[in-house]
Amino acid sequence: MIRCDVCERRCPLGPDTTGYCRMYHAPRGQVEERFPDRWCAYATARMETIPFYHAWPGARCLVVGTTGCNFDCRYCANAEVVKVDPAGQQDVMLDVSPEDLVAVARKRGCRAIVFSVNEPTVSLPTLERVAAVAKTAGLVMGCLTNGYATPEGTARLGAIFDCVNVSLKGLSPQFCRNYLGVPDVGPILRNIQALARTTHVEVTTPVIEGVNSHELGEMVDFLAGVGPDVAWHAFRLLPEYKMRQEDYPSVAAVGAQVEAAARGKLNYVYFHNFIGSRWVNTLCPGCGEAVIERHSLGCGGDRLQAVHLDGTACPRCGAAVALRGDPDPATAKEACS
Amino acid sequence: MSLAILDAREWQQTVDLRTGQPREASGPLADMVAGLVGRRPYPGDRDATCNDWVADVALEMVERYDPRFAFLSFSEQYYSLRHSPLTEAEEQARIDGAFAAVERFARESGFTVVVVGTGELVPAAVPVDLEGLDGLVVSSNWCAHYAGLYDASAADLEKLANHPAIAQVAAKADILTLFGGTAADGERLPEHMVAVKEGHYLKGTSLRRLYKIPQPSPVIPVSNNLGPVACLTDIRPALLNLLRTDKVALALVEGVGCRQFPLPYHTCANGRGWFAYEPGDGQFLAISKGRHSIFEHNGGYRYYQDDTDDKAYPYSGFFSEMPTGTIGEAIAARSIAVGNRSMFMHMLTGCDIACECFARNLYNQGVMAVIHRQDKYAGK
Repeated sequence: MIRCDVCERRCPLGPDTTGYCRMYHAPRGQVEERFPDRWCAYATARMETIPFYHAWPGARCLVVGTTGCNFDCRYCANAEVVKVDPAGQQDVMLDVSPEDLVAVARKRGCRAIVFSVNEPTVSLPTLERVAAVAKTAGLVMGCLTNGYATPEGTARLGAIFDCVNVSLKGLSPQFCRNYLGVPDVGPILRNIQALARTTHVEVTTPVIEGVNSHELGEMVDFLAGVGPDVAWHAFRLLPEYKMRQEDYPSVAAVGAQVEAAARGKLNYVYFHNFIGSRWVNTLCPGCGEAVIERHSLGCGGDRLQAVHLDGTACPRCGAAVALRGDPDPATAKEACS
Repeated sequence: MSLAILDAREWQQTVDLRTGQPREASGPLADMVAGLVGRRPYPGDRDATCNDWVADVALEMVERYDPRFAFLSFSEQYYSLRHSPLTEAEEQARIDGAFAAVERFARESGFTVVVVGTGELVPAAVPVDLEGLDGLVVSSNWCAHYAGLYDASAADLEKLANHPAIAQVAAKADILTLFGGTAADGERLPEHMVAVKEGHYLKGTSLRRLYKIPQPSPVIPVSNNLGPVACLTDIRPALLNLLRTDKVALALVEGVGCRQFPLPYHTCANGRGWFAYEPGDGQFLAISKGRHSIFEHNGGYRYYQDDTDDKAYPYSGFFSEMPTGTIGEAIAARSIAVGNRSMFMHMLTGCDIACECFARNLYNQGVMAVIHRQDKYAGK
């Protein structure tokens, strides 16, 4: 038996022993994927849907995922894929090599491949192979992650991905135990700092009124310490999975708490994950002008509306706006057309 | 200007439907609709009360707007059978629930309700993976049987010709010929359309496991209070004729075919030749417009090409323009559309007011009401 070194659960693995995520085993004394190159789905979208608001704005991307997770979030939005036994899903998984996946992305005119259905640390070797081919083809790699990797796993994530959105879901040990199924937030805070040193990082916090909403100020203080330009996405929680019967949080109440917590501390604060949000535009940190406008369609559906930047600067006051990548979506041309 | 009232539960935003820009809207009709959707949060696509929500909203609209025509969709059983592992008894209960909601609407509104089953669901037996082709395959989340094929190589076409799961590979020209189109009509048609056999389905974009999928039904049932209709495109003129004497509702009960249809019915053709509509935008539009719409709405279009910054109708999913010639446009009297099919109700019916769930891939975001016509309302 060995210990898995990918995530902080550090599960024992053996030839017939899998860990919490059920995606790795150790038939030859090393951590190996059980289901390499197997994908639950892929679809064409744009970076805002992930969400990435400050990385390659408007770029078309191929959204992919596998199955399995190392968390047990009570509100998981993808439980039907993520919480089931991966072995039982294999009959409907797509078997696509890294080369073929990159080819699909290029045929569809995508500028990026983004892993966003489940947790990327459960499929790291596959993603490393995809990244190697994608980078040769000039494609950007992005992901959503819960940030619970080991330092070694985090270094691998940082090497694979050009942009990462880390979910900072809560701070207290009680919240982590009851809502996420992990003992504490320490590894996540450590990994946000580590990833921000090596790649583009945005952070998302699903806000549950009365459960983690009192921690927003502390989260903002932490993120401001990482850097005031870290884009923070406060999400109104969409109650799914074990929380399906619970009330939707109040937009007005949570919005006020987000604004109060972040005022003067972070340059880019967004409040969305519900239709018609008015808090999805990027405001110039210098003068408050709306320099990037978006529409919010709720869960995974945000859209770029207009970019008013002069390069990466505010056209009114000239202040720099933190962006990774060219904001011109016209650069995404269809390779096959 | 069409107004969209977005209701995310206890929070509303009103926008210009075409641009998505916020608009201040007030007045008796906007206030009435905003109040209605605020009082009636959407329970969710697979919630057992989902079809009751349709009936409840439609009945309140009948009370407050006094329409002569209502276009309704009842789709909970379609979502549940498609994506939930149900027993036969549970499936039947869902279908019974849909017809109970239709019957309640008919009883309480006094409307003559014409019911159309959009086609039976069958077990999703064999997933088909076409990703190994040289060309580009485009399938969509809600279309199991049809995919578009672009830049196919000779090897691709030979492989598909010998593929045991493939029922048909039709070139664009063949589709145009089948539906009587000219070359100019083919802009949104794929270069080839691939159809898989019954029980088979194309995998790729559906995040959730599919348990049942639409049968490519050559015929669908239409309640016999409409009289005989040969094809689904004949439903519209028959409805317009019935409207001369009756207040009429068209109720599309999704995922139900002739075998499960509990009312006396006639059958009508659900397509042409080898092509049969799946429940979806093409079928809704063929019924609404009274003519086939496969050129604009088919499962193989590269929908993502329209997803640009300046795309019109940002809250209307993949639709980037408003279809014309819909049934609501042809009715001078007041009309409403209510359903648990996002986007379809306000884009495909043409009715004065549409109220629908705002659900995306079964995630319940709330309710959207669209007011296309404000000029017919004098308050009530």
